[in-house]
Parts: sequence; structure tokens; C-alpha cells
Amino acid sequence: MGNMIKTIDVTDSLTNLKDACDLESGRISGKIFYDQAIYEQELEKVFARCWLFVAHESQIPKTGDYITTTMGEDEVIVIRQKSGGIKVFLNACPHRGNKICFSESGSARGFICNYHGWSFNVEGNLVGQHESGVYEDSNFDKSKWGLKEVANVDSWKGLVFATFDPESPSLQEYLGPMTWYLDALFDNQEGGTEFVGGCIRSTYECNWKIAAENFVGDILHAGWTHDSAARAMLGGSVAKVSDFEESYSVNWNGHGYEFALDTVGNVAVLGESALNRYIHTIKPSVAERLGDFRSNMIGSVSSCTIFPNFSFLPGQNTVRIWQPRGPNKMELFTWVVVNKSAPQEVKEKWRKGAMMTFSPTGVFEMDDGENWEYCTKTAKGRVTAQQDLFVGLGMDTLLTDTPLPANVYEGQLNEANSRAFYQYWYDMLNAKSWNEVPNRNVGKAEAE
Amino acid sequence: MEKVFLCAVSDLAENQVKKVDSSVHGDIAVYNLGGQYYATADLCTHATASLAEGDVEDDLITCPVHWGQFHIPTGKAQGFPCEIDLKTYPVTVEGEEIYALIAVDQALIAKG
Amino acid sequence: MTALYDEQRPVSVEQHYRISHFLNYEYRLLDDERFDDWLALMHDEIHYWMPGIENRRRENLLEHGFYATDHMAFFDDSLRDLGRRVARFKQPSAWAENPATRNVHQLSNVEVYYGENDGEYVVHSTFQSVRSRGLDEEYVIYGRRQDLIVQDGESFKIKKRLILIPNATLTCKNINTFL
Repeated sequence: MGNMIKTIDVTDSLTNLKDACDLESGRISGKIFYDQAIYEQELEKVFARCWLFVAHESQIPKTGDYITTTMGEDEVIVIRQKSGGIKVFLNACPHRGNKICFSESGSARGFICNYHGWSFNVEGNLVGQHESGVYEDSNFDKSKWGLKEVANVDSWKGLVFATFDPESPSLQEYLGPMTWYLDALFDNQEGGTEFVGGCIRSTYECNWKIAAENFVGDILHAGWTHDSAARAMLGGSVAKVSDFEESYSVNWNGHGYEFALDTVGNVAVLGESALNRYIHTIKPSVAERLGDFRSNMIGSVSSCTIFPNFSFLPGQNTVRIWQPRGPNKMELFTWVVVNKSAPQEVKEKWRKGAMMTFSPTGVFEMDDGENWEYCTKTAKGRVTAQQDLFVGLGMDTLLTDTPLPANVYEGQLNEANSRAFYQYWYDMLNAKSWNEVPNRNVGKAEAE
Repeated sequence: MEKVFLCAVSDLAENQVKKVDSSVHGDIAVYNLGGQYYATADLCTHATASLAEGDVEDDLITCPVHWGQFHIPTGKAQGFPCEIDLKTYPVTVEGEEIYALIAVDQALIAKG
Repeated sequence: MTALYDEQRPVSVEQHYRISHFLNYEYRLLDDERFDDWLALMHDEIHYWMPGIENRRRENLLEHGFYATDHMAFFDDSLRDLGRRVARFKQPSAWAENPATRNVHQLSNVEVYYGENDGEYVVHSTFQSVRSRGLDEEYVIYGRRQDLIVQDGESFKIKKRLILIPNATLTCKNINTFL
């Protein structure tokens, strides 16, 4: 098909990458956070190949509804089709490359480039140009010059992902058994979820991996980093995670979810009793739908990252992408997710609760931002960047005899997910094709 | 007035538009709005585009290239980017056949 | 919010001075980290609102153009919410506030009109908030504000505040101050 994107030629791996990670010994090098050459490899080998979150179905319910976002640093338009499906196009005119849609969201019959008036319909087909006669005189074939479409688009329970790489595994295969855990937030009630309107964006002087890794498996920081926020919202400190009787870190293909089974720990920090009540009200129906185990996860102390840069917090219901903008710069896009079937006042309390806690004005996020920026900035020093960083907690915690799917580790105060995240990142950077990405999964590929 | 055959009733479903080629009168767009038939010029008055490739929504036709709209029964341009009204033709249905009644423009034929 | 007022009815020079002075005083309290004194200037029913700004085409505008009441916001606070934010600033474990963030808040383009009810004033203004942290971090936020101020004895209280920045993407990591 003429309008499908041309895939990029993958360049050779960096030779100086060898000492970047040694995850079997639980160490990474600071240079992975402040190196232009490594960053350029990431854009091509991670962001141009992996499945990336682009939208929630609820943001674009009707034909022509669209949002614009980025996949890595590539600008894209995500638009609902007449057929009910979703297409994702490069947000660039095939004539001179000008951006064609400058709006972050809306509803359109198509897009017209401001430069020479090339006009594209919802399906991405070129339907006309200013002075169309001169194109006819040049035997121009309109059908070959539509908007360039990404290789694949697919969704899981309302979450829409896209990939630039026709060789990438299916979304189902990519997510693997992580979907079993995703359902605890995204499919715990009939009707599924929706996003609250709007998107809050902010700019960090930090490497995107630090934030993604924080959500993949770092609850360890919460008790210390967020002490002030917890005292402000709850009048006391954050729940002591080491006191939880049962908690896990699970991962697959670099994705990771760490969680306790306390049902409401994350919800509680929003300081809204109505939300705690809502969680307790729906819990029996969640147990019926997903089983007792996952009904304990719906608002528990937990966090998740789907590799590379899509993260969320069940309970606070913040959903986010860490958009790479250079080795030491990132844009954070955040949304709020709620159950479609939740009462309006519950949705409203989540809209405000996520704002109060995890947003640029959120009392929790303020202390994160400072840490992440300086984890990045210290690596500016050439000597500092060469130093080893410790990521070795929970080396011997793999559970081999568990009914739970994915690679399961005991305890959420554990760096197993962080190691798995960096390992997958490292493997992607070293692989010229998907066949070269080693399969390091040891757990069950499906729930029992 | 010249009676120009457009199409058979069975060829035009409800709320559809169809293009009829005519080198003499210019291409004609014929519409079925809930059983009522209308005919207009097919060429958009704004840029080069066949209106028959656009969408019928209620009694409006939306141009497929720049999404300008015209009121089908009157041809009235509905605003930016279309400023010039569309030419409309009276329609008659005779049995199974739809015709447009087109005033013969002597000047046009002479140039023809 | 868009409180009702008549653009043909600006207040007297003297009243304009009193209200401008009050708002300048409010900003100095923030620069001096006198958060409890600052909170005391808020009306019990304060609605302190800074909606998220959405970059949309003219034909697809929201309820208020670039923002909407039920969409995501930076602030959408009651007095309780503002109190919680202040409570964090005051914790010794607010790590990112030690060393302190140094603030300069500036207010200008002040217009004051009589509001709908006696003792109510609608104030339009523009602001500039400059923050510096560490040795070299500097963040500047510009914006426009609309306040509903009510007479409270010899002084005033802030009953509604609408804060609009022009940016659809915040150019810094956070807003660890009030605007």
C-alpha cells in the first residue's frame, strides 16, 4: 500500500554500550541518562519499534474525532474511521513535510496543509490540492501521496497502541500476561473505562527512563520521597510497605507492575472518603468478574509501566506518557482514567484527586520531579556518568511455584522490575531485529 | 428547457448522491433526500472537486476536498470557504426515470 | 467563572488603590512564605481555579474556548484543598523545598469593577511569577487573572480566582507556588 510508512534502516549498535548495564550483578551506568548517541539509538530501536500508547478509545468516540500525540519524537494523528476503527498517521504532509494538524484534539472531516493546500480525508487519502490542474498536467498520482500510516494499531480494553514497525510482534504477544494485571484497573467494571476531558502537559529536564522506571517497580521511594505529601493529604506518613503481608513485583518484556493487595492504599492518599467508599462498593462485583486476587488490586499501593513509556497508578488513576525530548528532556502527558459506570461525583473527585496528588501542582509529584531531574543532571559529569548505580534489591526473589502469570517476584520493595526494564531496554538497543531480542521471560505466559 | 435523463429511481438510494456526466451542461449531481429528488451542478464553486464524492447530511452536501457545504434544494453556499451558490436544476420523475430540466444556454452551445 | 460586572463601572481611584494594595500584599505573603497569613485572605467559599489550556482549532472550541469546567486542571481548589497544599510546604520532609524556592510574584494591568452585589469587586490583572531553585534553575510563568474580591471589614477576601496561562504545555516541571 502506497500510504504505509517506510520503515527505517536500523543502524549498528553502539560499541560503547557494553558497560552500560550489567543487570545480573544489579548495576547500571549513569551514562545511559545523559548521552546523545544512546538517545538517538533509543528513538530508532525502542520508539520506532515498540508498541506505544497513543490514545484511549473514549477520547475519539465518533468518526473524525482525533487527537494528536507523539510516538517517540515523531508527531502523529490518531483518528476514528467511518468503519469504527482507528488509524494513526504521521502528522506531516507528504509534499514538503509540514505539520498538517496543529490542534491537540477535535473533530474533523480531514486535514488541509497550510503550505500548498494539500487536503486529506479522514482515511488519510489525498483528495485535492490548491491549483489541482497543475498536478494533473504532471500526471500526478494522488493515490500514492496520502498521509503515511503507521504499521499497526491495536487496542486492549480501551487503551490504543501503535507501532511503526511491521515486524513487531502482535500487541497481545508484546503485552503478554501483563494484560491479566491491566484488567485490575482497566476492566474491573462492565463498560470499562474512559478518560476525563483534557490533558495536562509539563516539561522535565530529566531522562524519560528515570520516570518510566520509577513507575515500573519503585515503591521504595514513596515512603521517603513523599512523606510531606502523605502528611499533607492524610495527616500521617505513607503506609509502611514493608508491613504488607503479601505483595509482588511482576514483569514481562520489560513491562512491570508492582502491587500490594490492600485494595485502597493508593486511593486513600487522595483524601476523599467518597472514593474509598466507591472502591469498597464495587469490590464484590470486581471479585465476581476478575476473582478475589485482582479485586484486592483495584486501588492498592501499586504502579505500572508498559515498556517503554506508558505508566499509570491504580487508585490515583493518573495515566501518563513520558515523552522523550532529548537525553535530558522529557514532556509528561497526563490523563485521568475512571470507570465509565462510576457516578458522576465519583469521576469528578478523581479528576480533582489526581490533580491534587500527581500533576504539576500535585503534592506528590513535586518531590518526584526534583529527584528525577537531578538523577539526570549529575550524569552530565563525565566521571560521574561512568560510575555504577546500584539496582540490586531482591536478587533471589523469583517465585517459581506460583499460579500467577508473568515473571513473579516476591515483595514490591524489590528492584526486580527495574532490572527487567533496563534489561529489555538494553536488549532492544543491541538487537537489529526482533529475532535478536532474547526471550528472558521465565514465568507463565497465561493465567491459570 | 431541455430534459436531461439523470438516472433510474432504483439507482439512487435514500440520502445518496450520484454524479451524471454531461459534456454539454457540465456534470450534474443528483440527490435523493428522503424520496425527494434534487439536481445541482456537480463541480464545487470553490475548488476543483466533484460534490458527488462528498457526504449528504440532512439537506446539505459537503464537498470532499475542503468541506464547504451547500444547501441541496437551493444551492445556497453555507459559508467559508464556499462563497458562490451552486446552480440547481428542476427535477421531474417520469415513472422509473429521473430527469433534470435545464435551460439551454445558447452562448454556451455556440462556444461548445 | 466569569463573574458578572459592568465594564462601564470601574471603581474610584481610591478604591482601585485599596484593592491593588491588597493584591500586592497577598503576593508579598507568598514571596515571604507566610502561607497561613495567605490562606487567611481566602473566603470560606473560595474557588481557586487554574484550568488546563487546550490547543484547539477555532471550530472545535470548548465551553470556555481553550478550557472547560469538567476538564483537567492545575488547580480546582476549595479552601480545604489549598490548606492541604500549604500543609505540604510546611513539612520538614518537603525535600524539594529545602533549600527553599525563591519567589518573585508581580501583578500588573489591574482593572477593578463593581461586582454584581454590594461589596463585591471584579478584578482583571496580569501576573508574572518568577521562581528560582538551587544555583541556576529559573522558571517564569506569565498569565492573566480574574478575581472576585469581597469587602471584609476594612480589608478584603478572595472569593473566586481564575488563572489562565497561555501555555498548553507547561514549560517547567511543576508549579510549587500559588499564582
